[in-house]
Amino acid sequence: MKKFSQRHLLGIKEITTDDIELVFETADNFKTVINRPIKKVPSLRDITVANIFFENSTRTRISFELAQKRLSADVVNFSASSSSVTKGETLVDTVKNILAMKVDMVVMRHPAPGAHIFLSKHIDAQIINAGDGTHEHPTQALLDAFSIREKLGSVKGKKIAIVGDITHSRVALSNIFCLQKLGAEVMVCGPTTLIPKYISSLGVKVEHDLMKALNWCDVANMLRIQLERQDIKYFPSLREYSMLYGLDKKRLDSLDKEIVIMHPGPINRGVEITSDVADSKHSIILNQVENGVAVRMAVMYLLAGQN
Amino acid sequence: MRLLVTNTTICDPQSSFNGKKCDLLINNGIIEDIQPSSKNFFSNIPKVYDAKGASISPGWMDMRAALREPGYEYKENLESAADAAQAGGFTSIACLPNTNPPLQTNADIEFIYRKAEKLAVNIYPYGAITKNLNGEDLNEIYDMHNAGAVGFTDGNKSIAHAGVMLRAMMYGNIFGGLMLNHCEDKNISAGGRMHEGVMSTSLGLKGITPIAEELMITRDIELAKYAESPIHISHVSSKGSVELIRKAKKQGVAVTCDVAVANLCFIDEDLKSFDTNFKLTPPLRSKNDQKALWEGLIDGTIDCIVTDHHPEDSEHKDVEFEYASNGMIQLQTAFSLISMKAPKTFTSDMLVKVLSINPRKTLKLENISISKGSKAELTIFDQNIKWNYDSKNNQSRSKNSPVLNTELIGKVMAIINKDQLFKNA
Repeated sequence: MKKFSQRHLLGIKEITTDDIELVFETADNFKTVINRPIKKVPSLRDITVANIFFENSTRTRISFELAQKRLSADVVNFSASSSSVTKGETLVDTVKNILAMKVDMVVMRHPAPGAHIFLSKHIDAQIINAGDGTHEHPTQALLDAFSIREKLGSVKGKKIAIVGDITHSRVALSNIFCLQKLGAEVMVCGPTTLIPKYISSLGVKVEHDLMKALNWCDVANMLRIQLERQDIKYFPSLREYSMLYGLDKKRLDSLDKEIVIMHPGPINRGVEITSDVADSKHSIILNQVENGVAVRMAVMYLLAGQN
Repeated sequence: MRLLVTNTTICDPQSSFNGKKCDLLINNGIIEDIQPSSKNFFSNIPKVYDAKGASISPGWMDMRAALREPGYEYKENLESAADAAQAGGFTSIACLPNTNPPLQTNADIEFIYRKAEKLAVNIYPYGAITKNLNGEDLNEIYDMHNAGAVGFTDGNKSIAHAGVMLRAMMYGNIFGGLMLNHCEDKNISAGGRMHEGVMSTSLGLKGITPIAEELMITRDIELAKYAESPIHISHVSSKGSVELIRKAKKQGVAVTCDVAVANLCFIDEDLKSFDTNFKLTPPLRSKNDQKALWEGLIDGTIDCIVTDHHPEDSEHKDVEFEYASNGMIQLQTAFSLISMKAPKTFTSDMLVKVLSINPRKTLKLENISISKGSKAELTIFDQNIKWNYDSKNNQSRSKNSPVLNTELIGKVMAIINKDQLFKNA
């Protein structure tokens, strides 16, 4: 049986293309499982997973929790909205306290880039990154690529445009690494102020004209405007952002081809995407959510299988 | 003390013995006589130190170190910093005023001198330019100058207000008080954690573009021209900065500058695994910038190398990268790192120039040379000896060094200062 090459899932950067394919094959099976009348399997029985969220999250946390429950794991949830600095307790202390209660696996979201890499040097439990600031969000990238593969047959050779706030997005970075490993072409599109100056060095195309990006791509992944992560103004108003980069029916219809629309959620309806686009047949937004559970089951199953 | 140093290679471009193997007789803190070793000239000297071929140069001077006292003694104090400096070959240090409270009155300056009296190395304090480093209200810098402040700076805080900087330069120039500025336009760099480039993009960390530094250097050069006053730019880090200063020097502007050991020896790619020991002010920049810094040193654009020694305890370093404090300890390892990383075109004469002659010249301190009658403030070192830097021989109270527990090449054997020989283990 093939094995996952890493002990943790810290980021897409650290894993191989074989790892990604293995996650996909495993997720295919779990997707069948979760569509059966009896959705639960005993794969993670006797394994305790702690979901530690230092940043607000609804869908990622629920998706992980459902995946854990479907795998029969024991689950504990811990949320702290503030960072370790303001809270007074250090990250390592917090996690060590939880691990002292005999926890095998940690799913963590943290506002600081690299927090998981830092933690992996201090604790023994397996770590899954559920988002580290503006760095990576590997399970999101895996489920996005899995959804493209499901819709279009494969990822290889496909053109994917990631549209929106690239600078403040961990989804963008993980998606770029993942899609490139799978042989896709990636373009980022958005205002100059929200695209890192050196991003083209990562091998992606850069475009500031939404229509050009849409005409180029097979898939448009519309990112959420991360207002909460912007400490300064990068554009004058949401209205103007929408004028330049909002995807509406009119723009979609003007294309001479059909493209697939994705969104990592939660959607700001009327800002980056209008309701009629989000709810159209082009959109695979809800498939992404469903696949998220299967992909996260696959990741935890593969990591647990190493012990 | 009468001391004979035998079998030592003179390393001092100012000395007529430069490059020759000599014996030095030191008496009462003065170099009394120098003779070629082959002559076996001296006899009946009771105290002899056999340098076994190691080099000797005018004592090194570090013109930028944060010694943390008063206020942060749990990170470093003057004693531990002096021990680290001695082990690293520095006979003199100029210390930054970013303490708690800041060094900003004549009493603060006198406090440093008084405490440093009994230490192996000389410690020269800078005074803070503005009250509590607020960047707005000038301190009594004339009073501090009279108490012995060797220059004025707000440490790692820039004087952001051009008017304040201009007035400080003009006012200081009345009595020869030198202003040193850390150049960083915070309007651009705010929130930045490392050099802006491919690495910051791939790590998801907000970048600090070199423009933030270069804009303020441009401003300070213009201010120096207008004020007809000298300015010292602290720890330049980018290719653009070197070019700006090179051009200004050609035009005759009284600008000097220094570069930190870390920026010469490491680059942004070293941050790949989020090692907080590499989180610094200014940030480690690209390979290209690193190359330009060495070129600047070699052609004389950059006057001095500084350690930019900045001790931090584990509570401030062993945390998530985002929250970690900036800085690296460097007094003890600077020479080894330079020895290991310098390009071949960087000669030992240049080393003495940027580590000993120029810092003293910049701060208008007494020049040291290896000649009869000169002050015996000397460093004995060997560029080829390997040693292990570990937590046992680390003299600093802090451990924030990326090379701790590694083998280094280039060792300081001893320093001679204050009429004493201090040997390294």
